[in-house]
Amino acid sequence: MKRKGIGYASIFYGTGYGNGFPDESRATAELTKEGQIIISVGVSEVGQGGLSVMEQIAVETLKIKKDLIKLQYNNTSKMRDSGTAAASRQTYNTGNAVLDACRKLKDNMNKVKTNKNLENLYVQMKDCNIDTKTEGYFKATTSEVDLETGQGAPYWPYTFGVQKATVEVDDETGKVDIIEVTSAFDAGKIVNPITAQGQIIGGSTMGIGYAIMEEVNLNQGDIQNKNFSDYIIPTSKDIPKYHTYFIEDVEETGPYGAKGLGEPAMLPMAPAIINAIYDAIGVRIYEYPATCDRILLAIKNKNK
Amino acid sequence: MHVKAVGEGFIRPDIYEKVQGKAKYPDDIEMEGMLYAGVKRSTIPYGRVLKTNIDEIRQMEGVICVIDYTMIPGAKCHGVILKDIPILVQDIVKRVGDCILLIVAKDKVSLKKALDQVEVEYDVYQGVFTIEDALKEGAPILGDKSNILYDIKVKTGDIEAGFKEADYIAENCYHTQMTDHAFLQTETAVAHYDDEGVLTVHVATQYPHYDREEVARCLNIQEDEVKIINETIGGAFGGREDINPQCHAALATFITKKPVKVVYSREESTISRSKRHPMEMFYKTGVKKDGKLCALKVRIYGDTGAYASWGMNVLRKAAIHATGPYVIPNVDIEAKAVYTNNPYCGAMRGFGAAQVPLAYESQMDILAEKLTMHPLKFRYMNAFDVGSQTATGQKLKSSIGIKKCIEKIADVNQMEL
Repeated sequence: MKRKGIGYASIFYGTGYGNGFPDESRATAELTKEGQIIISVGVSEVGQGGLSVMEQIAVETLKIKKDLIKLQYNNTSKMRDSGTAAASRQTYNTGNAVLDACRKLKDNMNKVKTNKNLENLYVQMKDCNIDTKTEGYFKATTSEVDLETGQGAPYWPYTFGVQKATVEVDDETGKVDIIEVTSAFDAGKIVNPITAQGQIIGGSTMGIGYAIMEEVNLNQGDIQNKNFSDYIIPTSKDIPKYHTYFIEDVEETGPYGAKGLGEPAMLPMAPAIINAIYDAIGVRIYEYPATCDRILLAIKNKNK
Repeated sequence: MHVKAVGEGFIRPDIYEKVQGKAKYPDDIEMEGMLYAGVKRSTIPYGRVLKTNIDEIRQMEGVICVIDYTMIPGAKCHGVILKDIPILVQDIVKRVGDCILLIVAKDKVSLKKALDQVEVEYDVYQGVFTIEDALKEGAPILGDKSNILYDIKVKTGDIEAGFKEADYIAENCYHTQMTDHAFLQTETAVAHYDDEGVLTVHVATQYPHYDREEVARCLNIQEDEVKIINETIGGAFGGREDINPQCHAALATFITKKPVKVVYSREESTISRSKRHPMEMFYKTGVKKDGKLCALKVRIYGDTGAYASWGMNVLRKAAIHATGPYVIPNVDIEAKAVYTNNPYCGAMRGFGAAQVPLAYESQMDILAEKLTMHPLKFRYMNAFDVGSQTATGQKLKSSIGIKKCIEKIADVNQMEL
C-alpha cells in the first residue's frame, strides 16, 4: 500500500571558485552616440537567467529604461573576461562588475546637467571630455585553506536552503512519488523572483532525479546507458507541487545584496526525499538512487 | 526618473527567441563549402595504441584529411587545471572515449563511413574501476606518482574529547552514484576563418574566454587570433566547462582552411563529457543529550576517473561542506580524489557539495530520532548564525539566513521551534 512520509533537509553552499583562486569578473558600460547603453559582459546564458540579472542591475543603477540597454555577451573579441557561468557566481561576481561599470557611467552622466535625451547627453559628455565608456571589475575575497588542517576562509558568500518533501512510497512495488515540496532559500536579495523560482523548480527536479532515478551504469569503465531511453531523468509527470519562499537576508558585498542560487537550488531535495522515505516506511536508504529494487530490498532486509 | 528593476520579475531577454524556436544553436549554422569532422574514440578503458589504419582511411572517398596527434601544432592536451586530457592521444588511452583520430570529410555520410572503418590495434592493460582497487598496493598508477589526485583534511577542536562528550553517536556509510548532466543540446562546434582571418569557433559554452585560451594553445597561435562566439546554450550544469569539440573543430579548420562542423550524437555526448563524482562517505557524528552536536569524523573518497578536470576542487568543496550548515566544535574530515579508468569526473551543479548532504542530513535525522526531537528543531538549534565559526575556522560575518529558512518551514508547518 501507499504510505505517506515527510522529510526535511538543510544545506549551505559557498559560492564562487573559492580557496583564493582568482575569481574575477569584468564588464564594460558604454553610452553610444545613438543614445543606447551597451553592456559588454561575458555572462553565458546557460538557462539560469543570467542575462536578465545583468540587465536588471544595469537598469536599476543607470535609472534608464530597459529598452535603451543592449547586452553584448557572446563574442570574445568584443567583451572582456567575466569568468565561468559556474560556481553560482554570475549574479554575485559578474553582477558586481556590471554594477561597478554602470555606477561609473552614471557618475559620468551626472557630470552633465541635461534634461534632454541620451543622444544629447552623449554629445555634451564628448564636448566636456567625459568618458562615455567605463570599465567595471570585481574580485571575490577568499583565502586558500591549509591542506593539513583545512583552516582558512575558502568561500564567500554562502547561500542557504531548507526543503520539506512529502512523498508516497508504495511498499509493494518500492515506487516513490514526490507529492509536494516546500522550499525556503536565502540567496540574499532576489534580483528576479520569477527566474529565481525557476531555479528552485529546476534544481529540485534535478534533485528528484539524483535521489530516485539517475545513475550512469559502468562495465569496466564503459557507459552502458548512453541514451535517454535508458538514462532516466525526471519529466513533467514527475514534478510535484512546489511552494517556494525566499528569505532575503541581504549580503552587503553583493550587488543590491544578492548572492548565488543556481547550484544550492538542487542540493536539499535529494536528502529530504531520503528522509521522507524513512518517515513513510521506516526504512533508511544509504545510497542514491533510491530505486524500487533498492527500496524493496531494504524492506525485505528489515523484515528478516 | 524612477526605475525599479532589482526585485522585479522582468521577462528574460533571451526567452522570446527560445519559445518561438528561433534561437540559434551551433548546429543551426550552415556555411558554404562546410566540411564535417568527427573523432574515433577508444573502445578500451586502459592501454596503448599500437597502430591504426590511418593510411587506408585517408584514401577513402569523401575523406578530406585524417589528423593524428603529430599534426597538432601546439599543446597536445587540455584541462581546466592540469593539462592532462589528450586532444588526440599520443599512445596511452586511459578511458573509454579518449580521442584517437580526427577525421574531416566532405559530408556526414562519408564521415560516418570513415569513422566506422577505423581500426585501432591496442596493447590492452588491466584497468582499475573502483576506488578500493585504485588504492591497493601494486595498482597501476594513473596519476603523476600515485592514484591520489588530491587529499585534504579539515580539522578543528579535539575529535576524541568530542566523542567522549557525546551521549548518542551515529556511524554510517553512504554512497552516491555517478550521474550525467543530461542537458538536451548535444555538443556542436563550427569553426571557420572570418573576413579578417580570425579563426572563429561557434559553440555553446560556459566560459568562452577559456575556450579561446585552449584553442590558441592547441594551434600555437595568439589568443587574439581566435574568436569564440557563444551561441544559444541548451543546458550546461557544469558539463560545458571542460573542452570538448572546440579544439577538434578549430584544428580541422586550421589544417583544411575550410569551415568545419563537429556535431555529437547523444551517445557520443554522454561518452565524451565529464560526470558527477561518485563518492563513498564514512560518517560518525556525536551529539549531546541537550541536542548540541559535539563531534564529527568524516572520510570521503571520490572516484575522479581518468583525468583531473575539477577533481581537486570538487573534493575540497565536499570536505568543506561535510559538516552541513551546523556548528560542530570538534571535527576531523579527510577527502580524497582517486584516479580510476572510469569516465573522468568534474563539474556538475553542486560540485561536491551535492554529495555530502545525503550523509550529513541522514545523520541529522538519525540523531534527531535518538534524541526524540523534531528534525527541524534539532537542525535549528545547531544551525549557523552570524558570528558562528565553520569547521575551517571561518567566522560568518553577514547574510547567514539558515535559521530564518528553518523558521519559515516551521511557520508553514504551524509548529514551534
